[in-house]
Amino acid sequence: MRKSNYAIPLGLGILMSAMLLTGCGGSKDSDDSKSSNGGKEKLTLGIWDEKQRPTMEALVAAYEKEHKNIDISIQLTPYKGGEYWTKLEASATGGTAPDVFWINSLHAEDYKDGGILADLSDYIEKSDLDLKTDFPEALVNMYTFDESVYAIPKDFDTSALFYNKDFFDKANLDYPTDDWTWDDFVDAARKLKEAGLDDGLYPLAAPLDFQTDYYPTIYAKGGWILNTDRTETGYDDPKTQEGIQMWIDLIDEGLSPSLATMTDTSADAMFEAGKTGMLMAGSYMLVEYLENDTINTKINVVEFPEVDGVEPNVMNGLGYAVFEGSKHKEEAVDFAIWLGGEEAMKIQGEKGAVISARNDAQKYFAASNKDLNLAAFTNHSDVANPLPVCKSSAELYDLEANELKWAYSGEKKLPDACSELKEKADEVLDKMNK
Amino acid sequence: MNEMKNVQVKQRKKKHISKSKKSEWIAAYIFIAPLVIGLLVFYIYPFFQNFWFSFNEVNRFNISTFTGLENYKILAKDKELFRTLGNTLKYVVITVPIGICLSMFLAALLNTKIKGTSIYRTIFFLPSVTMSVAIALVWKWMYNGEFGILNMFLNLFGIQGQNWLSNPKLALYMVMIVGIWMSVGYNMIIFLAGMQGISQTYYEAAALDGAGPVKQFFKITVPLVTPTIFFVMITSIISGFQVFDTIYMMIGKTSLAYENTQTLVMMFYRYAFDYGEKGYAAAISIFIFAIILLITIFQFVMQKKWINYD
Repeated sequence: MRKSNYAIPLGLGILMSAMLLTGCGGSKDSDDSKSSNGGKEKLTLGIWDEKQRPTMEALVAAYEKEHKNIDISIQLTPYKGGEYWTKLEASATGGTAPDVFWINSLHAEDYKDGGILADLSDYIEKSDLDLKTDFPEALVNMYTFDESVYAIPKDFDTSALFYNKDFFDKANLDYPTDDWTWDDFVDAARKLKEAGLDDGLYPLAAPLDFQTDYYPTIYAKGGWILNTDRTETGYDDPKTQEGIQMWIDLIDEGLSPSLATMTDTSADAMFEAGKTGMLMAGSYMLVEYLENDTINTKINVVEFPEVDGVEPNVMNGLGYAVFEGSKHKEEAVDFAIWLGGEEAMKIQGEKGAVISARNDAQKYFAASNKDLNLAAFTNHSDVANPLPVCKSSAELYDLEANELKWAYSGEKKLPDACSELKEKADEVLDKMNK
Repeated sequence: MNEMKNVQVKQRKKKHISKSKKSEWIAAYIFIAPLVIGLLVFYIYPFFQNFWFSFNEVNRFNISTFTGLENYKILAKDKELFRTLGNTLKYVVITVPIGICLSMFLAALLNTKIKGTSIYRTIFFLPSVTMSVAIALVWKWMYNGEFGILNMFLNLFGIQGQNWLSNPKLALYMVMIVGIWMSVGYNMIIFLAGMQGISQTYYEAAALDGAGPVKQFFKITVPLVTPTIFFVMITSIISGFQVFDTIYMMIGKTSLAYENTQTLVMMFYRYAFDYGEKGYAAAISIFIFAIILLITIFQFVMQKKWINYD
């Protein structure tokens, strides 16, 4: 009788404890069982963009066709709010990070220093991949530290000028063209406004956005953001400020919604609701715009307007990294290198979600949609500046947004906001370099 | 000698009792094991790890180098800490009293014999079972300067609306409204439970003596629910200090009200997850912990002065 007294609680207790523990390690168990059952090596590919899932699935299918012994599953974690990185950091610390995962220039150095990224240099040398000739230098440099390569460039993004034809049709204006200069851009905006716009509609939007908007014009004006030693920021350079002021002028003139309005409703959302006629946007926005029934039949895209004879653009990109602690490192590296090859880059380009990083595959993006002038994104990719990054980039971008907003809203003069920004940003760099 | 014998007898008795109850104890321990293991793994261990981190420089991957009190030294000089502390205190000082008064008022209304009390209780409680992120998003839309329902409503009366969440003077109050709205239902249910524990005879006696409903509320209900007020106050202050998700969702980085709405936990989050400085973030969280602990201790000490446990 006595034994049965605690048989029930014992059973329940064990059951619940077991549930609690398997809750943590459940996925791992199922992975192992699968690999032993099917005799296949299981790899995981970590990505963050739902819009690119079909592309990634196509790539995985193509790779598995050639490699029957490999079974790759895709693990998608949203980028928003840093979720992807939080999860990746936690799983890397626990040794269960995806075998191959996306990385961007903002995080590459930190992750390399953390010992998370496998050094791919030797493997690449043995393969037929030639980073020097096959890829834009700016992209390769993003993942090269001390002459070692830690990721294979996947894609890149540049920005271009999207416009809503409705606005131009109503105002009887010609559509924007690839050879537009900044003045043409502003002129057209003025004419759109003069022709009369309904309440709540704007000719364009000038959001406080670094890579898409003010970094390209800063470089075009001859300004700079971060020196090569990453010890100082260039916000106090008058040329840098000129490149930012161009956007503020658009808001002051009433051609763009106010910063407060764009904080409440993002410039993207306004463009997608047909509220603004023109918007500078990254190539990665294309899929989202095309899925939006309000605007997808009305939009087209042209090159970023020329500023002082320069084609402004800032390029950023993703790479495929291999987890240093992967249990199937050899297979993972093989997959990552294959992803950088001609076939994979062609598949990715033809899906039209992103611009493939390989030089010989950039053209597929433009060809993926005949209705749109997608070449606008790639025509001048050779002269695009790489996005300036350092280990404290996340903090610097926050500082930029926090300080420049006073200038964008007219509360402060731009030079004042910039000198404050430089002081704080340089402090962050000092801390980083310590 | 006698005394010693007595002690020995007592000890023997104790042992004897423990033997007879042994099986019961084991069963009890097994029953609480899942919870205790969960607490140890997910609360106690992380708490001490966090405490240890606050004396280290910790990178994104939990690799730490001991730096002693360095984090705290920087923290003591960090202007941002005092700004976020100020915002947090403002949030707590305003939302807690208003939240308590409102939820007590609603509870008193719903404690009367009117039709449909259970429907009202459900409606008021709904925010508590809704995801706070969803709530924040909906409110953000209502506050929207261009398309928001609040400005549309104000326009009906000829009042010019504004970008509520970009106004440095107002944004924090707008967030407070959401915070109060979210917590009132839950606190109301707790007050309701407290009020239903009050014997009807008090009210009957008071009514005979000619006390109206208002007088009854202040002379009978309020004093007798002081233990509930105490409980609600402690939990509200703690959750007030930990306010995060509504502000995170509603205030953008380009909002002019950004500086005026950053709370301690927002600051902690940014350092821990955006900037990858987990050591410094740990020091911030220890600071938050210390403040909450002090305030809670103070409240427990003060409770004798105003709480009626009869």
